[in-house]
Amino acid sequence: MKRTELWNDWLPPAITLIVGAALWQYAGSRTSAAFLSTFTATMARLWDMVVTGELLGALTESLTLFVTGFGLSVVVAVPLGLLLARINVLRIATESYIMMFNSMPMAALIPFILSMMGFGFAPKVVVVFLFSVFAVLYNTMEGARSVKPELLEVARSYRSSEWRLWRDVLLPYTLPFTLTGIRQGIGRGLVGMVAAEFFLSASGVGKLITVNERDFDTAGVLAAIIVITIFGTVLMALGRTIENRFAAWRGVSR
Amino acid sequence: MSDAVALPAVRRRAWTMPGGNLGIKIMGGVVLAALWQLLVGWFAPPYVAKPLGIIAAIPSVLSDPKFLAAAGSTLWAVAQGLVVAVVLGTVVGLAMGRVRTVDRAFAFYVNGLNAMPMVAVLPLLTLWFGYTGDARMATIVFAAFFAIALNMADGARAVPPEYLEVAKSYRANWLGVWFGITVPASLPYLLAGMRIAAGRALIGAIVAEFYISLDGLGFYILFNSRSFHHDEAFVAVLLLALFGLSVEALMNWVMRRYLPWYRREGRN
Repeated sequence: MKRTELWNDWLPPAITLIVGAALWQYAGSRTSAAFLSTFTATMARLWDMVVTGELLGALTESLTLFVTGFGLSVVVAVPLGLLLARINVLRIATESYIMMFNSMPMAALIPFILSMMGFGFAPKVVVVFLFSVFAVLYNTMEGARSVKPELLEVARSYRSSEWRLWRDVLLPYTLPFTLTGIRQGIGRGLVGMVAAEFFLSASGVGKLITVNERDFDTAGVLAAIIVITIFGTVLMALGRTIENRFAAWRGVSR
Repeated sequence: MSDAVALPAVRRRAWTMPGGNLGIKIMGGVVLAALWQLLVGWFAPPYVAKPLGIIAAIPSVLSDPKFLAAAGSTLWAVAQGLVVAVVLGTVVGLAMGRVRTVDRAFAFYVNGLNAMPMVAVLPLLTLWFGYTGDARMATIVFAAFFAIALNMADGARAVPPEYLEVAKSYRANWLGVWFGITVPASLPYLLAGMRIAAGRALIGAIVAEFYISLDGLGFYILFNSRSFHHDEAFVAVLLLALFGLSVEALMNWVMRRYLPWYRREGRN
């Protein structure tokens, strides 16, 4: 039983990974290195990046940008979302617009930010912030909206204080939704991070990609893309883990 | 609103709410726009877009053939790319959702590439496709495909096993099982995937136009904001927002019109 499971679960991905690498190697060896470098050349370039410290520097820059912009969006969106949930008039007045911004492609605002704020760290933080903030805000608002009115009424009839109301009803109900927003926000913030590093002042892993592209160093481009894929996968997995950790609350209370 | 009658009381109240609160919504919009107008007027340089300036720019922008060509080019490319992504994503997603070996074999690639910020492959795609519309199309398909495949796989996985067992005991042929049960049962997930995919495709198209200076809405925004015509550029942003909202509304409508069973049994 154990053995067949091992067989079924690990053999197919192992085969596709090896076949994928082999196909890549073959395709790369049949074309010019500027079009598609081979798998081995890409790995060698990746190792080179690690050894020279080029990669560590780029990752640190990217992570700093991401954490600053994304952190800012969480700090702004979560309290704002809760406030909108508690004050009905404010929510009704703004929810359509928040929904609109949530479904708007934020990338379209990059040129405005560029022409208003120029180059530097701050405009890039604004881009990451804008990409992720509405996902967090929208989901938090939706979560707080899903609090059953009966619960609030019961709490009120037991003369629950405003503080207890938040602690025992609003926050536990909203948290799972906020975390969904945070997971979505991580994904969007990553796109914002790379876009900012491409189109505003070049930095981090984004710069690694564009500079290598301009030099027709395709091995470098592919190596940097692999790095950013791992970077994204790790951050998304982190977001998903936190989301699942608290998702149970949603099931219990509904 | 005739279909609202069939919904239970609580839902009906939720549905009629937007209409009842229209006044508050409009007032909210006016207040936000006024704040924008005043704050930008006081603190920002004069060329920065302001609501009144944007409204004034709308007629001239909408009658500008260059703008219309740009809008047509971008939105048409997004629509085409989405169709390609939906077809490919549905096939791959169905296979992954129903055949365990396929899932195990490709989950690594699909999950990894889905988590990757798709903008990152843009330089590579321009290397392969040149600085042309093909690179934009490839970006759109790439941006949209994985969200659709993953959601479709989730949907195919979530098909109630009872349905399949009944079909089996009645000796339904494989065509009937796939197209009579699995595909329809996965449709709500496909729609959820398409909603995400449309947003990503739009971002992909815009960013590709920035990167390769290709005529389209993205480049229109870039060009006009560089020459400090922010009001004109913002009209293009509004059109993009409108497109995003229309997709959202279309999905909701399809969901309510053709897949009402999902809501009743599902989340709510």
